[in-house]
Amino acid sequence: MALKSKIVAGIDIGAATAKAVILNESKIIASHVIPTGESVKKAAESVMKQTLDKEGLSMNDISYKIATGYGRRAVSFADEVITEISCHAKGVNMLMPDAQTVIDIGGQDSKVIEISKDGNIGNFVMNDKCAAGTGRFLEVMARVLDSNINEIGSISLNGNEPCQISNTCTVFAESEMVTLRAEGETRENIFAGIHSAMAHRVVIMGNTVGFKKSVVFTGGVARNIGMKKFLQERVGMEIFVPEKPQIIGALGAAIVARNKI
Amino acid sequence: MKSILRIKSHLKTRLKELKQEKEKGRKIIGYTPGGYFPEELALAAGAVPVCMIRGGDHSAVDASVTYIDRWLDTFYRAQIGYGTSNEDPYYNIIDILFIPVTDNNNRALSDVLSYHTGIEIFNFGIPHTKNESAHEFYLHGIKRVKRKIEEFTGVEITKNHLNDAIHLCNKERELLKKISLIRKSHPSPISSKDFVMINHASMIIDKNDLVKNLELLVDELQNKEIEDKKQPRILLTGSTLALGDHKILSLIGESGGEVVFEEFAEGIKPYLFKVKTNGDQMEALSEAYFIDRIVPAWFRPGSERLDHLIQLAKDFSVKGVIWYQLLYREAYKIESYYFPEILKKEVGIPMLTLESDYDPSETGQMRTRIETYIDSIGR
Repeated sequence: MALKSKIVAGIDIGAATAKAVILNESKIIASHVIPTGESVKKAAESVMKQTLDKEGLSMNDISYKIATGYGRRAVSFADEVITEISCHAKGVNMLMPDAQTVIDIGGQDSKVIEISKDGNIGNFVMNDKCAAGTGRFLEVMARVLDSNINEIGSISLNGNEPCQISNTCTVFAESEMVTLRAEGETRENIFAGIHSAMAHRVVIMGNTVGFKKSVVFTGGVARNIGMKKFLQERVGMEIFVPEKPQIIGALGAAIVARNKI
Repeated sequence: MKSILRIKSHLKTRLKELKQEKEKGRKIIGYTPGGYFPEELALAAGAVPVCMIRGGDHSAVDASVTYIDRWLDTFYRAQIGYGTSNEDPYYNIIDILFIPVTDNNNRALSDVLSYHTGIEIFNFGIPHTKNESAHEFYLHGIKRVKRKIEEFTGVEITKNHLNDAIHLCNKERELLKKISLIRKSHPSPISSKDFVMINHASMIIDKNDLVKNLELLVDELQNKEIEDKKQPRILLTGSTLALGDHKILSLIGESGGEVVFEEFAEGIKPYLFKVKTNGDQMEALSEAYFIDRIVPAWFRPGSERLDHLIQLAKDFSVKGVIWYQLLYREAYKIESYYFPEILKKEVGIPMLTLESDYDPSETGQMRTRIETYIDSIGR
């Protein structure tokens, strides 16, 4: 019982995926990612259960649960809710104590967060409600060009001459893609252009916060190798991607939960 | 508190009361917010001043698309929506609408209502600098307002009546100021929601009744026992805080922040000044309403308002400043980019900038921003 009381969980319900992390003191003992689907509530229950099952744990074994992400308020079993911005800062701070900047790109949001010396948030900026500069934008572009979302990042690396993409608005960009394809542009160059334009947008937004060493890239889009490359070019410094960039928000929530017990 | 409940219920029944006043033959004089229309002039002619201060309603903003493009301040687009609907009880009850023209946004309201509705409009221009000729121009403007009200109501504004009106409005301002400044103490005995409500009420309900209740409120606040929740104190500022635009205060409250002062050009009636009761009455009005009040963001130079914000942040010992502005109000938007650096340097606190189009779909992101901000300053 004494041991189990140190087990806590963080649940991050994003627009595209639901994530859970179970933490025992400073050790991640289980984590899991599932698509959010249409019901935020069901996704929360389901991702929690699947994560618990991995270690043969039950809900009663978890002494404190914190929910985060855009669906955080729908997680009925959480003891507390915290915004994903705070959680990403916490999660990154634990993995990389010298990190000062987080670029987080998820399904519907992109954020640039400054981590202060004490590991808390210094400043942050977040995109407006439109899908430009988010994972949703890449998903739509992948669909328009009949490509797999998991491959477009590496495809973009093969573009020798990235196309000039003038629109980062998802709706307008879609018609721009159609035009470029009709003109016979290669998929590689089009994807390179898309990634470059999106990186540009995120960096312009983040300039109000500033990019200070070390810069860490989190969220589902951080799994996209093309995005990392173009962001590095725009920021002008190396960007680090954690091993599992999607679970950083959930990890941060679990860290806060750990500090509560 | 009894006084708060009374003011709230008066606000709810005011429309019925206005109908009765109108039936008795009193003129209902509408005006747009911003603090440049001296209510004293309407009161002195026996008319009822009513401010067009409602907002927060996205359907009204949407409805304006028929008459004006999107690139206009949200509050004024909402007014265009209400005014052109033919169904809005406040726009239907006013006999005339006075518009102190401060910028292109309320000028658009004036143009659209003049062209598309039968509402009688009276414009008078507001200069954007505080110098002698600007002051003269404003004085000239309110003299035109006075003549128009006299002509419109058929009542001559006598010195005695204007004097009474100035005294009544001074009393109201003095009480609002007293109540507002109580909030310098920690914790504050009155919530921002309540203070904003009484300030809005001062632009709509009967002043004699309001003054009585504000006096009662001062007593109630002095005897109130308050629990210190140790919430981070916040200065809320921006372009417009309309009656019915509840979202921002609700979200800050739900996120654990406590607003202790509101600085808005529109939506918070200026109450820190007092109109002199000796000398020329019209000059005294123009001096108070144009020179003594704090300028909005579109004034040149804009530093007076920014200095005031810095002073407020210090005086009210706030931990954060939330800048809440409406979409396409450029004068504010411009300042929102550089003011955070000044604030950081002068007071050492961060600022959160939020923009609203009264759109319900913006609530989720706004909540995330506010929660994160309050979480980061609350430690």
